[in-house]
Amino acid sequence: MSAATAVLRRLKFSREVVLLGVLIVLMIAMSLLSPLFLTVGNLLNTSRFFVEVGLMALGMTLIIITGGIDLSVGSNLALVSVAVGFSYAAGLPLPLAIVFGLVVGVAAGLFNGLFITLLDLHPLVVTLGTFALFQGLAYGLTEAQAVSDFPPWFAYFGQAYLLNVVPGQLFIFIVAVAVVWLILSRTRFGRYVYAIGNNEEAAHFSGVPVRRVKLALYSGTGLLVGMAAVIYTSRVYTARGDSGLGLELDVISAVVLGGASIYGGSGTIGGTVLGVLIIATLRNGLVLAGVPSTWQVFVLGVLLLVAVFLNEFFRRREE
Amino acid sequence: MSEVRAPTPAEERGSSLRDTFRRFMLRPEAPALVFLAVLALAFSLSSDKFLSGPNLESILVSVAVLGTIALAVNQVILCGEIDISTGSMLGLCAVAAGAVAISTGGLILPLLTGVAVGALCGAINGLLVTLGRIPSIIVTLGMLYALRGVILLVTGGTWITGIPDSTTVVGTGTVLGVGYPVIILFVLFLVMELVSRHSTWGRNVFAVGGNRRAARFAGLPIDRTRFLAFVLVGVFVGIASIIYMGRAGSVQTNTGTGLELQVVAAVVIGGTSISGGRGSALAALTGAVLIGVILNGLILLGVPGTWQQAVLGALILLAVATDVLRRRLVGDKA
Amino acid sequence: MSLPDTPETGGTAATSEATAIFRLRNVTKRFGGVTAVEDVDFDLRPGEVHALVGENGAGKSTLMKMVHGLYTPDEGTLEVGGEVVDFSSPRDAEAAGIAMIPQELDLFPELSVTENLFVGRHRPRTRWGTLDRNAMRTEARRRLRSLGVDLDVTITVKGLSAANQQIVAIARALVGEARAVVMDEPTASLTEREVQQLFRIISDLTSGGVGVVYISHRLEEIFTISDRITVLRDGHHITTASASELDAEELVRLMVGRPLNELFTRHPHELGEVTLEVKGLSRSGEFEDVDLVVRRGEIVGLAGLVGAGRSEVAQSIFGIHPPEAGDIRIDGEDVRIRSPQAAMERGIFYVPEERRSQGLILPFSIKNNITLSILDRISRLGFVPRSERQIADRFAKELSIRGAQLSDPVSRLSGGNQQKVVLAKSLAREPSILLLDEPTRGIDVGAKSEIYRLIDDLAKGGKAILLISSELEEVLSMSDRIVVMREGDITGEFGRSEANQEKVMTAATGGANRSASNGSRKEASEDE
Repeated sequence: MSAATAVLRRLKFSREVVLLGVLIVLMIAMSLLSPLFLTVGNLLNTSRFFVEVGLMALGMTLIIITGGIDLSVGSNLALVSVAVGFSYAAGLPLPLAIVFGLVVGVAAGLFNGLFITLLDLHPLVVTLGTFALFQGLAYGLTEAQAVSDFPPWFAYFGQAYLLNVVPGQLFIFIVAVAVVWLILSRTRFGRYVYAIGNNEEAAHFSGVPVRRVKLALYSGTGLLVGMAAVIYTSRVYTARGDSGLGLELDVISAVVLGGASIYGGSGTIGGTVLGVLIIATLRNGLVLAGVPSTWQVFVLGVLLLVAVFLNEFFRRREE
Repeated sequence: MSEVRAPTPAEERGSSLRDTFRRFMLRPEAPALVFLAVLALAFSLSSDKFLSGPNLESILVSVAVLGTIALAVNQVILCGEIDISTGSMLGLCAVAAGAVAISTGGLILPLLTGVAVGALCGAINGLLVTLGRIPSIIVTLGMLYALRGVILLVTGGTWITGIPDSTTVVGTGTVLGVGYPVIILFVLFLVMELVSRHSTWGRNVFAVGGNRRAARFAGLPIDRTRFLAFVLVGVFVGIASIIYMGRAGSVQTNTGTGLELQVVAAVVIGGTSISGGRGSALAALTGAVLIGVILNGLILLGVPGTWQQAVLGALILLAVATDVLRRRLVGDKA
Repeated sequence: MSLPDTPETGGTAATSEATAIFRLRNVTKRFGGVTAVEDVDFDLRPGEVHALVGENGAGKSTLMKMVHGLYTPDEGTLEVGGEVVDFSSPRDAEAAGIAMIPQELDLFPELSVTENLFVGRHRPRTRWGTLDRNAMRTEARRRLRSLGVDLDVTITVKGLSAANQQIVAIARALVGEARAVVMDEPTASLTEREVQQLFRIISDLTSGGVGVVYISHRLEEIFTISDRITVLRDGHHITTASASELDAEELVRLMVGRPLNELFTRHPHELGEVTLEVKGLSRSGEFEDVDLVVRRGEIVGLAGLVGAGRSEVAQSIFGIHPPEAGDIRIDGEDVRIRSPQAAMERGIFYVPEERRSQGLILPFSIKNNITLSILDRISRLGFVPRSERQIADRFAKELSIRGAQLSDPVSRLSGGNQQKVVLAKSLAREPSILLLDEPTRGIDVGAKSEIYRLIDDLAKGGKAILLISSELEEVLSMSDRIVVMREGDITGEFGRSEANQEKVMTAATGGANRSASNGSRKEASEDE
């Protein structure tokens, strides 16, 4: 084994360390691009954005570990957002409207799950269809209008500060990360997720309730999307049918960057969180530097390709 | 392997009308064609404008871009992969072709430019899938966004306008009352039917998508087959970009956004199986026309355009679900 | 390397260099630590039908895969036409004129008959360079007619009957100008009539100088059609003789006849109540009308050949693929089992045949593999307790799992220890009914006797055990009763004292008499 391979091997084993390194380098680069970057205010504001992506990425991590994928998360977000906004505008008290939104999110995820498990369809195609369906529903039902006159307290989710400094949603995110991490690493459900991703047939033969686990995953992701949607709507203070467009790219990229194999079987919450941080930093830094959103998306696209390529490259080297 | 047992050898040589009908119904495009006929009938009954020559022609013209690209993506799906980068590809090809058109006018040079750019993008997709061994969904997802950025880079955010008439004639000109886009679409359809049935590559696509293991054992060039399919998509997107320019007269930075989904929908709805190995050029064409008819019908019925996306998504789900259910009912264990 | 004298086929004891189509000399093939084939000779003469027989795992398919270019011999050589060759892929083998028709046929179901014949081969072209489909169709028809069949060559292959699909596969081999055709279990799905048709085709082939390697378990077919027979056992070459020199009894003896070294002696003990009862269990295409009874403390051996349907029956009882007809009764109570969880709830556990793809999650640790099926029992509020490690440890010690730590990935263990992990997983669930599918396959002698002891202890402890095994002496020494299956039906049942190798093997292979009822069963399923 050559010296280079030995170094590469060690790198692979501490992927999280590598990601942390990348994050630090990135932050330095961004601060060079714009002096505004490294201010506390900005960093905390960045966290507002990454909470939304992060919540969805938590669910997406588990889905990808099982070898599936969900392309509809962005559209689901839009659907929940308009569900909240427009039911409120129609007269429903806001707290109920929020609950309604969460229910819609779960229902959408369940819809995905049912198609995938009952009909044995590939998650790719199903979520491609629901990507269009959910977005279409969000857009069509609202006829491209928006709702913006929420009561002031609604902004609490997305724009508040706890202790006058820390954005409110950060706490929600930290709790969510803790919960999902616990589930994945300490519960039998998490064990089942890894089992299904590594060898679905053997898992089935061992009595793992494969269908039920998958249904729970897609529905659970729907719930997380719902939460992200509420926070997002609160942050931008508007419910629109075209919210969340393209967010699935951020989410999937974050998970893959964090080390999950696109083929399933591996992935960690820690890695995903770092992936989310990197992507959020990238986005924020580019925005501050005045880079238009299409360019940001370009970078993300390239990043996704590079990340997957490297993942598989190292994985195959290992074998 | 699936085993649908026919009763006796004698019946395998069936020549009766009933057998021909049965064989037709078993073809992958049959449900879509039937649905198309039913829909056409329904729409024509509810609105006498539907079956008019101009309306029919406008439907076909509106799906010319979609249909052209669908014919090529059909091949990608047939060999077991997928391509969702076509929307951004169209935008990029249109930008390149448009820029050339403005400076030189005419058709040949813009066409060649569009095709060259498209082929390059397709080649990148193909290489990443075959050599990079990255799943095609990820490759084309990444490319979808990456190319969009390239468009912005190249155009700096400005539209491309002022495309000379010598180029836009493709979109507006007619021959015997039939628009050029329709003619191009049909010519390409015939070409694809020919290639699909009669060329080695065309048959290999079916084999690679239908039974990759057997294909490998038969020594088929799996990587080359898939690579060429992705390049073909690029070429056809290039052609489609000229049609687009001819119709739209200008190229915007968000040209083609959302098209990739319509393309996949057309292919799947028309009867090509998403798992590969089963389908035809006719399926892709039927699917594209079907989408055109549905969207046209929605407009005639007064449904707001904002619902289009939802209808598309529902159609995709319906198509794949019925494909599975149909196979289960038939007892196909494949 | 010497062959016994074969007077019928021409006098010379050994096939001379020039006349063999291909010859394997002293070939050995190993996979990891297991030797699949050791020091085997095999050759095929032009115009002969050479049968290759042996139990499951004897090495037949490994041997032929070397001929067909899928594997390269670790030792020894392959010669084609007298010259040593080194195939790197099946394509090379086909170019050299060696074609293989596997049991699954490897056709393309969505393509037409014509296309299947020409896939990957040189196709005739028209003046314009496109494929000359008319020429292809004509050629396809010609080939099929020369095999005595007249098919519509334009229809897709998936619409053909199994017999016709096979003929297409043979025609495909011939389009490639094959001089040697290897057929693996060609008659598995054919009716009597179709088998005769196949024999006619084979006889036409051989009179044209093509050599056929015929791998089959159907002894009376072998005697009908083959010129020479080669017997393999445990990867070793036992004998090659002309068909006229052997008879069924002797063949069986050669196939299985190890000295009955009982590695493990079972002392029969008291049997308890009937706990598992299966009546009329059927699943179309897999098994039909299966009745089984297992008592507490009893070991029922389920013997038969690969494809007999035994695993399917067990998997059906375990809820992997619920049966279409029939009843399952546990302790007298009718049950419907629709999933493995449901089966486990009822105290049934199935240890799968394929250790690596069905029994274990290779990247998982040993501990996690052992506890996978009991997580629902030991976890509190969904959380996996720390005591998990102790539980896994207990089972690991009980089964003497050696070779790695509990936290190491199970892929690190040897085959025998891996099998113990699978057993540990099943035992952790404390089932009352165990369905063991080939529990000692691919395991060395030492580990085998450990597992036999374990199975015996389990029976002593009152568990009801169904032991599926293709190793005759294992079945004979371990079972209290033996049930034999063949092609989805039960063909024999023997008590411990009356059972012997010949009886079991005869029931498993159909021996010398193919019963009329088997033929008619095929006819019936043809009409579906």
